[in-house]
Amino acid sequence: MSTTETTTATETTTLQKGYVGQSVPRREDKRLVEGQGVFFDDVKRHGMGYLHFVRSPYAHARIQSVDVSAALALPGVYGTLTGDEVAILTDPFFQIAADPGGQVKDYALAVGKVRYLGEPVAAVVAETRELARDAAELVEVDYEPLEVVVDARASLEDGAPVLHEDCGGNLSYTGVWEWGDVDGAFAEADHVVSISQLHFDRFNSTPLELDGALVEWNRGTGQWAITTNNQFPGFAVIMMAPAMRVGTDKLRMITQDIGGGFGNKITSHPQLVACCLLARKLNRPVQWTEWRTDFHQSMSHGNERWFLDTEVAVQSDGTMTAFRTKAIDDAGAYLRYEPLGGVIWSQVAPGMYRWRNLRLEFTQAMTNKAPVSPNRGYSRMQHLWFTERIIDIVAQELGFDRVELRKRNYVQPEDMPYETPNGCVYDSGDYPRALDLALELIGYDTVEQRRAEAVERGKLLGVGIGSTLDSGTNNFGQSQLLNPELQFSGNNEVATVKLDIFGEIVVTLGTTPQGQGHETTAAQVVADILGCDVDLVHVRAGHDSYWNSHAGFSGTYASQFAVTGLGAVKGAADELAEQMKTLASMVFQCPIEAIELADGFARIAENHEAALPFMALGAIPNANNAGFPVDPPPMNARFVFRPQFDVPDKEKKFGNLTLTYAMQIHACVVEVDPETGVYEIVDYAAVDDCGVRINPQIVEGQVMGATAHAIGAAMFESFVYDDEGNLLTPNFYDYHVPHALDMPPLKTSSVESPSPFTPLGTKGMGEGGGGGIHCVCAALQDALRAAGGALVTDSHNPYHRVWDMLRHPERSRDTVEVVKQ
Amino acid sequence: MLLREVGYARPATVEEALSLLAGNDGARALAGGQTLLNVMKQRAASPEVLVDLGKLAELRLVGVQGMTLDIGAMVTLSALMRSSEVEVSRPILAEVAATVADVQVRNRGTLGGNICVNDPTNHFPPLLVALDATMTILSEDGERTVSVEDFFVGVFETAVREGELLTRVSVPAGGGGDGMSGVTLGAHGTYIANAAASVDDGRWRIALGCVAAVPVRATLVESRLSGVDVDEADVRAAVEGLGETLDPPSDVHASADYRRSLTETSVVRAVLQAAERASG
Amino acid sequence: MSVNEPITSAVVTVTVNGTESEHEVPVRRLLVHFLRDDLDLTGTHIGCDTGSCGACTVHLDGVAVKSCAVLAVQADGATVMTVEGLAGEELTPLQRSFHEHHGLQCGYCTPGMLMSASALLAENPSPSEDEVKVALQGNICRCTGYWNIVEAVVAVGKGEAA
Ligand SMILES: Cc1cc2nc3c(=O)[nH]c(=O)nc-3n(C[C@H](O)[C@H](O)[C@H](O)COP(=O)(O)OP(=O)(O)OC[C@H]3O[C@@H](n4cnc5c(N)ncnc54)[C@H](O)[C@@H]3O)c2cc1C
Repeated sequence: MSTTETTTATETTTLQKGYVGQSVPRREDKRLVEGQGVFFDDVKRHGMGYLHFVRSPYAHARIQSVDVSAALALPGVYGTLTGDEVAILTDPFFQIAADPGGQVKDYALAVGKVRYLGEPVAAVVAETRELARDAAELVEVDYEPLEVVVDARASLEDGAPVLHEDCGGNLSYTGVWEWGDVDGAFAEADHVVSISQLHFDRFNSTPLELDGALVEWNRGTGQWAITTNNQFPGFAVIMMAPAMRVGTDKLRMITQDIGGGFGNKITSHPQLVACCLLARKLNRPVQWTEWRTDFHQSMSHGNERWFLDTEVAVQSDGTMTAFRTKAIDDAGAYLRYEPLGGVIWSQVAPGMYRWRNLRLEFTQAMTNKAPVSPNRGYSRMQHLWFTERIIDIVAQELGFDRVELRKRNYVQPEDMPYETPNGCVYDSGDYPRALDLALELIGYDTVEQRRAEAVERGKLLGVGIGSTLDSGTNNFGQSQLLNPELQFSGNNEVATVKLDIFGEIVVTLGTTPQGQGHETTAAQVVADILGCDVDLVHVRAGHDSYWNSHAGFSGTYASQFAVTGLGAVKGAADELAEQMKTLASMVFQCPIEAIELADGFARIAENHEAALPFMALGAIPNANNAGFPVDPPPMNARFVFRPQFDVPDKEKKFGNLTLTYAMQIHACVVEVDPETGVYEIVDYAAVDDCGVRINPQIVEGQVMGATAHAIGAAMFESFVYDDEGNLLTPNFYDYHVPHALDMPPLKTSSVESPSPFTPLGTKGMGEGGGGGIHCVCAALQDALRAAGGALVTDSHNPYHRVWDMLRHPERSRDTVEVVKQ
Repeated sequence: MLLREVGYARPATVEEALSLLAGNDGARALAGGQTLLNVMKQRAASPEVLVDLGKLAELRLVGVQGMTLDIGAMVTLSALMRSSEVEVSRPILAEVAATVADVQVRNRGTLGGNICVNDPTNHFPPLLVALDATMTILSEDGERTVSVEDFFVGVFETAVREGELLTRVSVPAGGGGDGMSGVTLGAHGTYIANAAASVDDGRWRIALGCVAAVPVRATLVESRLSGVDVDEADVRAAVEGLGETLDPPSDVHASADYRRSLTETSVVRAVLQAAERASG
Repeated sequence: MSVNEPITSAVVTVTVNGTESEHEVPVRRLLVHFLRDDLDLTGTHIGCDTGSCGACTVHLDGVAVKSCAVLAVQADGATVMTVEGLAGEELTPLQRSFHEHHGLQCGYCTPGMLMSASALLAENPSPSEDEVKVALQGNICRCTGYWNIVEAVVAVGKGEAA
């Protein structure tokens, strides 16, 4: 079921409706349903060797020695690589952090010490996959185990074991983020609610395809061809090239199909460097496939975060004026993309609300756990969960209606574009309207009746709302708020559009899609601009840095393709259209204004007889160019889309950090079995507003996917460590992800508030802001009101936690206090 | 993925299978492989030789002999679900089979494998204890039968010794009423706690999974319920205190206390289900 | 064929997608690696190492199995169908339905989903929504949340795929 409602459009340059706005079935599908996709592991080369990593069985240990002789002696083994070699052949990866985090020394393999269980210590390459693993088992590593710290709060205490001695402790970054008059607001508040501890759990979205690469070394040119599924190659080469002491063009990044990413495939650069070094050392192609257990133990966990000593200032009419809190973020053992999580949250500092006075002390710690990296909703999801928890806890403690409280405090449609206290600009949207839609879909007005019916069946029913933002198109200048020395700012993406000799239109993208349908949506935009059938437009699958259609921020991450990617596509298509019209006007010797592109022709608008098919236009510059008094236009356009950003004010931590703010409201109904804590989601609705939707079906698919991830994280998915740093959920047995039977019925709907800031009125979307986590937490809290009134203070609520809340509501109740009545 | 080097044989007869098992050190029967191959992928187990039972058609038979339902060890869980003999004589077996993992696992995984693994979270060990099953074990020295009580020895350990094969599982055909209840990790997922109950003529057998290395009989509850025409209040009263007598493990999915509580609830629900079927 | 002395490698004869061939394989090679690495049928995917995700689902003698939990030698004499064997000149109604209902995003789980769903449809040509979910319970998808996949399979049963 789905409905769409369009709010009054902010003024924007939308295309005339053609393919854009339609659910054109995806181009990508045919090859994928036939099993003809090309994922990195499908590519083979003559003589290639298979790489297997030797991984640390300890979470923290000094490496005394590594002996590869037995492995090398095994017939069929091509060679090995150790941390000592890596330390000679490469420099540590460049660190985003200023000191102390800037002192972290991170290499492709562990050097001197291991800092998390599963960390690669050595690598072996052999003739077959099985043999490589046999040989890896023969590598003898002598470890001296060290004391382990897995809790971010404990890791910051004096006397905690230190992961990176050069940092002088486990702190990677700390900073105070304060805007408005926080103390004043608290002094004037009618009520102050304090919440001593909230915890956002560690999980990730576990793409089904794991990391890996096929790396070929070209001895003649000194270049590596890296066929991989890294989803942000622009970032990967920025990390890899300096460490390997080569230019970025020496690293040719190639991708066709990627089996899911969700941010988890951004930080594979250490493993890619190991592959490159071995390909060069052994002078043969090296293939690395990561397995599920390796991935769970060592890659890309989401940021775990604590919010301590939170206080909220509330007026008696329910107006929220201020909050202050101390966030402690757990980065795991290395800072592969961190401490960027320390600023990214501030894109949505006040959530969807009109809070004007905020103070957040952000501290990030390193622990003996797998390194974190972006995960769908990166860093904002944690913070938005926090703001939603505040709303529901305050509502419950002060007796406000949750819907009314939200509506009173939401940024209102008439406030748009709305500048937040820290200078971000929410572009458009109608949050109250979207909330009404979501509530209607779950039948909010019948809830009390259903609650009573549930009680008769022995169940506790609860309803929850999760309102969340999906900010997209980063201003990388925000990194300078963490480290003023950094030279990154703004954003960009590239596309090329050309007209080939026989009239085919060929589009290349700088992106690395993992299922977002870029080949389809790009073709829709181009076909509309060039006035031709969508089937005439060929969008190349994948990414290849040889195509010259990429820039430093190229990739597919952080909810932006509909803005940056399609912005580039539109720019290039507009330019090509101009070239085509110019050429036609040269042929027809008429002013360019007289030419239109329609029905696959460049023709004189007033005289359709005077028409050149695309084929004729394509042939002229390519193969039939004699006799032109001036050069015919090349029928080839490359466009770099650049959003308008300034570098934020580093002193005040103020400025616009993202271009667009898509929004989602999730609402759900749960039923809890009070005897077991087992609960079920019985009704669920998600309402999305991402501005103009190029392809509504693809947008809805993203909303569904984000919903599923959030439900998984809320109910089942967690990376749990014991005190020794062993991961207790290292595979899909214990790390349960939702299967078909676990999914609730879902209703979706949408609102379209075009963005005034983007070329197509679109907003980036796809991450979804963790709406499902927020609403499941809220629904549980609502259900538990009738059974002791426990407050939900954790983002992850497996059955056993719900059971604990049922038995000991006082434990969470004691963490919350109304300090000023 | 990526197993260690291993040997393989695929006998055509049970006799050949027994001689291969007896004649090769570190030989292990390979049934559906749904546990064994997965454990070998982790390199947590590395048998020297796999003796594939796949061709032994005689181990795939299901039949009713008098008052006994005989199920060959190599009967897959999918076959259990489809067997008309099972449906008529002990439908709980099919019902439970239908909730184990997923179609693909059920298409290969066998009843014999499920109990020979004796993973404490597996579905069939407690169920077969409640159903008072008898296991037939064959070796080159001949056949012996083992009561279900004696069959389960420890985690991943059963009465089947090296060189032996489980050939058949027998349960009384008919019975009064059976029930199984528990809490799983996701739909059709691994059990966190469970209980199976069976009643015949007022006599109860109740077995608990997930609380110890082997299924545990709730004998006190059984005797409290004995001969009573149960209603929910009786059952709750009978189950009271059961949790305290158990010493279940704590793990990432449940604390010991939570398991105790879930086990009590599972017993209540399994007993009520069995009682309702017995009366219906 | 029986093998009555332990061996560590074997010549297997398999009919894959209608073509019979012979290959020498080490015993320890899993069917999925054999299909992907030895036969170059890379449509069958790998998403876990515990038999949980179903990305490697194929039909072995007409039955849906996870090819990561079967040895290649066990397929000796058998018929295997992989995703590459589904379509002839044209996509099957099931494949078209996935396309029309946006039942795939990254496409990595899709081959396994299609094999599980096609096994279901062979047995039960017009399954209910619940029957479809049960049949797909062994296949993990991380992109779609399953809704569109279930819808796509149900639609085939209703004859709605064009
Ligand atoms: C993803 C997944 C989830 C699962 N979830 C569950 C679950 O929730 N509940 C559940 O009950 N099961 C579950 N299983 C296990 C499944 O039911 C297995 O199929 C079963 O436990 C083992 O049966 P098998 O035939 O595959 O045995 P195999 O794996 O072939 O063998 C298992 C062991 O038993 C021995 N063995 C097998 N047959 C005999 C015999 N006749 N005589 C002597 N020894 C023998 C083998 O040597 C081996 O040691 C799951 C499996 C998977 C892959």
